[in-house]
Amino acid sequence: MKLSTKGKYGLEAMVDLAVHTSEGPISLKSISARQNLPENYLEQIFLVLRRSELVSSIRGAQGGYLLAKPAEKISVLEVLNALEGPLAPVSCIIEGNSGTCARYARCASRTLWEKVKALLDTTASSITLGELVDKYRAANQADNQIEYYI
Amino acid sequence: MKLSTKGRYGVRALVDMAVYAKNEHISLYSIAQRQDVSENYLEQVFSTLRKAGIVRSVKGAQGGYILADLPENITIERVLRALEGDITIVDEDTGIKAADNSSISRLLKQHVWDRMTADINNLVNSITLGDMADDYRKKNGLAEEMYYI
Repeated sequence: MKLSTKGKYGLEAMVDLAVHTSEGPISLKSISARQNLPENYLEQIFLVLRRSELVSSIRGAQGGYLLAKPAEKISVLEVLNALEGPLAPVSCIIEGNSGTCARYARCASRTLWEKVKALLDTTASSITLGELVDKYRAANQADNQIEYYI
Repeated sequence: MKLSTKGRYGVRALVDMAVYAKNEHISLYSIAQRQDVSENYLEQVFSTLRKAGIVRSVKGAQGGYILADLPENITIERVLRALEGDITIVDEDTGIKAADNSSISRLLKQHVWDRMTADINNLVNSITLGDMADDYRKKNGLAEEMYYI
């Protein structure tokens, strides 16, 4: 039951974007440099994020990407759902798929997977990019203060 | 983020055993019939479960498998750990990323990934084969567990 690198690195890139978003359009090159992620991989990820309307792109020399909504309105769940699909350990519990398995009503394990999905959905939807940015700034501020005293 | 086939079939087979193999061993064939899974595949799955001490095998013509403990004592956490390895929501960084040195990486590990992993672990640690067997009985119109006082 694991997320792929798309979800993991996609979220890192989105947090990076959220942290720097006040600086204007952010290039994938800069995200790639800061987060140690291959630029072509980011291109694939941002294609999906743009289609999911989580980011918007600005063309041109000073172009790049911006968050399409304020960071506090983007949850971790939205980012992961865009990049990974539903957080479901089995396909039959995804909306619309109940007809795919003959055993659906009587299944020995479906309830378990529904509980797992519900829990992951609840946790992921309760964390926003805004919160993560706040925590990032707080952590970095602490580091900066330590440096000051040296 | 799909579960492996081993994990899917293994859990169902064990719930089946918890319902149908209360005090006696049953054959993989009977599980395969009821759960509509390949008996050959179950052999691989049960080899893993036996090594993990979750089931015991009974040899011979009338042989089969039996749970090594009461269903209410076998957590799903233990089952998944045997079939899927340690439960984590993301893998450690390898290959594509040079080093996990970005502070955003560390931030996400602390506030997102470790939290989601802990959630899953806590949940599956609180559910036993006994719980799932009860659920299965209800769904399939089987008699509730009888406790003779």
